[in-house]
Amino acid sequence: MNIKQIAKKAGVSVATVSRVLNHPENVAPATKERIQKIIEQEEYTPNWFAQGLNFNKTKTIGLVLPYTIGSSYMEIAGGVEEVARQKGYITFMCNMERNPQIEKEYIDHLITRKVDGIILMYSLLSDEYMAWIRDEKIPAVMIGENELRPDWDSVMVDCREGAVHMTAHLVECGHETIGILCGRTPENEIKSILQGFKNVLKASGKKLQPKQIYEVENSIEGGYIGAKKLIAEMTSEGSEKPGDQLDAIFATTDEIAYGAMDAIKDCGLSIPDDIAIAGFGNYKMSNLMEPKLTTVEEPYRLMGIYGARILFDRIEEKSEKKEPPKHIILKTKMRVRKSCGHKERIGEMF
Amino acid sequence: MLKTDFLGIKLDNPVIVAAGPWNRDGNSIKASLASGAGAVVTESIVSDAIMDVRPRIAADSMGAQNIRLYSDIQIEGWEREMNIAKSDGGVVIASISGHSPSEVAYMASKMEKFGADGIELSVSNPAVESLEVVASDADTIYEMTKAVVSAVTIPVTVKLSQNTTNIAKVAKAVKAADGSGVTAINTVRGILGVDTDTAKPTLSTYGGISGEYIRPLGLASVATIAQTVDIPISGVGGISTAKHALEYMMLGASVVQIGTAFVTEGYDIIRKIVQELEIWGQDHNLKNISEIKGKALDNLKSFEEMKYEPSVSIVNGTLCTENCSKCIDLCLYGAVTRTSGKINVDRGKCTGCGLCTSICPANKLKLGW
Repeated sequence: MNIKQIAKKAGVSVATVSRVLNHPENVAPATKERIQKIIEQEEYTPNWFAQGLNFNKTKTIGLVLPYTIGSSYMEIAGGVEEVARQKGYITFMCNMERNPQIEKEYIDHLITRKVDGIILMYSLLSDEYMAWIRDEKIPAVMIGENELRPDWDSVMVDCREGAVHMTAHLVECGHETIGILCGRTPENEIKSILQGFKNVLKASGKKLQPKQIYEVENSIEGGYIGAKKLIAEMTSEGSEKPGDQLDAIFATTDEIAYGAMDAIKDCGLSIPDDIAIAGFGNYKMSNLMEPKLTTVEEPYRLMGIYGARILFDRIEEKSEKKEPPKHIILKTKMRVRKSCGHKERIGEMF
Repeated sequence: MLKTDFLGIKLDNPVIVAAGPWNRDGNSIKASLASGAGAVVTESIVSDAIMDVRPRIAADSMGAQNIRLYSDIQIEGWEREMNIAKSDGGVVIASISGHSPSEVAYMASKMEKFGADGIELSVSNPAVESLEVVASDADTIYEMTKAVVSAVTIPVTVKLSQNTTNIAKVAKAVKAADGSGVTAINTVRGILGVDTDTAKPTLSTYGGISGEYIRPLGLASVATIAQTVDIPISGVGGISTAKHALEYMMLGASVVQIGTAFVTEGYDIIRKIVQELEIWGQDHNLKNISEIKGKALDNLKSFEEMKYEPSVSIVNGTLCTENCSKCIDLCLYGAVTRTSGKINVDRGKCTGCGLCTSICPANKLKLGW
């Protein structure tokens, strides 16, 4: 059955059926209900391809994500889909394997397939390529930062504040010398975290030597190797106890923290008594580690939700006069658990 | 007589149904409006609606504790709900809650598009968020309010918390950020009780206490704000009678909100309070209810201003027919005795503290000299 037959059966015009499908809010409730009933009875589904031609909308969006192994990216994607689904859209998910070349290819494909908008998660694209996207006049939103792009709609997390809170917490727990294991990406977020970390240590008069800052791969393995090296660096000559100069480690992702926890244990040390540890992200597993990992929660799902929200605002924007770029900045939240060596239970309650 | 202008919104009466699950969607808001309220505040709308804790509410005869009461409808769905809510007219204020200024600004602008008449920014939930309630920090409130105010054209009121050392300072921040009004107070952090057999608290974490328990705190907060900042106040906390509403207004509130009592007493309570206010106003020859606003504030005095009077408790001569002995048992100075059914106050021992006058069920005692 097609839309004409539905209209005939309901005794209304094709335009009315179309309105029920596309702008139900503009149809009188009684009429709407009657038509919806017929649509249901006849198991009619609109031809999306034809709709795309009619309305210049395909009701699809593209989501390009950095890679699929990484629960945080999937949480962001979940948030995007949640909003897209409510809008009656489906989401094409493309995994760029942290390769800007693949990212470009996917964007080309998405544009050829006439998606109504694109969300780029922790994009690796160059400014030239972004300018090209702009020329294509397709709405695009950036989630998470590798680079600051003030002229694009974006969703960011205030990572510096998160790092400030966590470093201050570690200092408050009584840790004198704190090392940091820095992942390499996302570049801008890591920069903010490191800045926040350094600022607090300076302000509280704690030691900050170059060897306390260690760059690692963004993975469990990276965290393991990094922590081993950091501990070795921070061991006094002739000391029987490895890492005797190190009180705590701050890792810029929870995955790095997992690896570091393994390394600390392999060195025969205990967490948090010998070396305390804190992460960044609050991945699902962090609450199951032994001891439970204290970390900075990033609002992943919310990042996805807001990314989709501001994308749909652009897609639905009617006026020729475009609104200026929107920047949604979200806050982190401290998740104080056991690995940081704090003593006040109340700190874990809120 | 009850018509009020609050933040530039015209209300038929000053009784508003407060934010809560009783206003969780279009239909329930419509029902709340139909109860005769001047306006209705939606349940707090958040960035991501997840309802994940059970149980969330407990109550006793004095009030209730809740641990996480947010709307389970995403902002996208509120377009539909607002259409339903306002299909018979009425004033709907959208309560929104979030963690960053850009987040709340975004939601506020959406709710304005969906037809909200005003925004109530609610970042003062004492449960879950942080040990220091977000709304206890004036700078944070300033930033949040500023962001919302610049995102909308409708009035913005900010719900304040008692969980702060200086509520007036926070109210000032709202005014400085061009907020149109404040709502005082949100629930107060508390634990309703502990089951002594199982050693389990009533709910599994700290929550927000509402109802009778918090009315005196709400009254003091409203008075404090009214004595500090020139900003319209919506008084809320433990109101279940017209008298309570009048108390809030006499201490500086322009309008009042009913929450917990709406549940414990039912929808009728709104009509009842509105009627009683009407009658009270007629009895007191008021042209408009706003005439009583802040009337009790002049009678709130500093210690220095209180007149020293050598008052003692004086017994209304006749025999006391109550057999309670409360005045005798509770007198802190041992000044009250009973001889052959008659209550006597020893004027030498009585220090005029006034306790007996407030606890006597027969109103037999009063201060005088």
